Amino acid sequence: MKALMMKDTYVIWKQMKFFLVFIVVFASIPSSFNNIFAIVYAAMLPYSALAYDERSKWDQLAAMMPYTTRDLVLSKYVFGWLCIAAASVVSQGIQLVLSIFWKDAQFSLTFSLLAVCCGICIMSITLPLMFRFGVEKGRLTMFLIIFLVCGSAGAISSIAESAGRGTFFAFQEPALIAMLATAVVLSIVSVPLSMKFYSQRQV
Amino acid sequence: MNAIELSHIYKSFGDFSIQDLCLTVPSGTICGLVGENGAGKSTTIRLLMGALRPDSGNASVLGVDVSSREFLQIKEDVGVVLDEAYFPESLNAIQVGKIMAVTYRRWDQAAYERYLNRFDLPEKRQFKDFSRGMRMKLAIAVALSHQPKLLVLDEATAGLDPIVRDEVLDIFNEFTREEDHSILISSHILSDLEKLCDYIAFLHQGKLLFCEEKDRLLEEYGILMDSAEQVDCLLPEAVVAREASGYGGVRALVRRDLAPAGFQLEKPTVEDIILFLVKGAKTR
Repeated sequence: MKALMMKDTYVIWKQMKFFLVFIVVFASIPSSFNNIFAIVYAAMLPYSALAYDERSKWDQLAAMMPYTTRDLVLSKYVFGWLCIAAASVVSQGIQLVLSIFWKDAQFSLTFSLLAVCCGICIMSITLPLMFRFGVEKGRLTMFLIIFLVCGSAGAISSIAESAGRGTFFAFQEPALIAMLATAVVLSIVSVPLSMKFYSQRQV
Repeated sequence: MNAIELSHIYKSFGDFSIQDLCLTVPSGTICGLVGENGAGKSTTIRLLMGALRPDSGNASVLGVDVSSREFLQIKEDVGVVLDEAYFPESLNAIQVGKIMAVTYRRWDQAAYERYLNRFDLPEKRQFKDFSRGMRMKLAIAVALSHQPKLLVLDEATAGLDPIVRDEVLDIFNEFTREEDHSILISSHILSDLEKLCDYIAFLHQGKLLFCEEKDRLLEEYGILMDSAEQVDCLLPEAVVAREASGYGGVRALVRRDLAPAGFQLEKPTVEDIILFLVKGAKTR
């Protein structure tokens, strides 16, 4: 699995330098929504890795090598989790520094963890679709889900802020617990499902 | 021990199927897999590497059933070169080496670097900027650098210039100097197979028409160049196939054991035999 993650890192690093800068820029803007965007974008990097695999037909070669289906599938999840964690750390670090020097900047660890859970949920829902239908068809579903998730997050955030009479997101903690539980459950279901879909593929 | 054993393999794709494929490659030998485009050569290779599951039948490589869990370990002993080198485009040869070093437990970095030098491959150029020949050379370097016992080569010499092709064939010959090293190679370049192989297996429309020792195959058949009347004098089963040659004559592939002693038969090449067999199969 280490080899596969190494390969994905090389591929993404070469191809996505510009977009990685994009994540850092979004993480630096003092806004909770931009913070979410940076982390959710990081959750999408496994799709890019999958797309590059498809383009180079890497799966055909990988099938000849001593990789298990578990390695091939789980490596994408672990790669995604690490990308999310890295984006979260970078974004939190920048937000923390900004909050020291700029009083308008808001530093919220809970909100960032909420974004991490959100990223994991999106990945858990969409990766099995990518393994089942391929990146192109899977990507359509992914955009639909991101649209729905971001729209709902924005709506919930507005409702919560008004319900909290102006305090910043009054229901952060219950929401975080719910999202954390959802992320764990979805991941537990998603990984075996992806493995099943991948092993059904006749590469 | 046999390096490869395929036993009564069936695999259907709707419009194409592999039918009752039985193929054995003894350890220490080189077997050439021949057939037209779409005959099922690449499918056979994917079946024997466990990348495709057969509808029925058994496949084993280096004595291990490909559907078993133990086959994952056996993949360490098999170097595979597919018809294209499917490495991600943005990688360079150094990065490929680093990834393979973590993939294979017996990865020999020194050997890999020697092959890169021998094939004159740039270490830092991205794979997408490689020519087809360079791509295949990189795939061959990888396949040879993890100390395999079996090489499975699917059109591995395609796209190489004649000089490099000759060098690669020498490397494959060197590889089989170890008595437990074997090769299964599919190629359209029949002269390469004639130079390299101990056995020739011929696939036609998903069926294995024969798998025979190359020398025996060359002894079994002869080329008769004569008039149509003379060829007609032979037993029908003696003539595998015929074609018109210049000046009204006929060129035919003939089974030596069924031809009368007086006939002057030329020694065929593997290419002659394969081409006539395909024609014979089409006319039947």
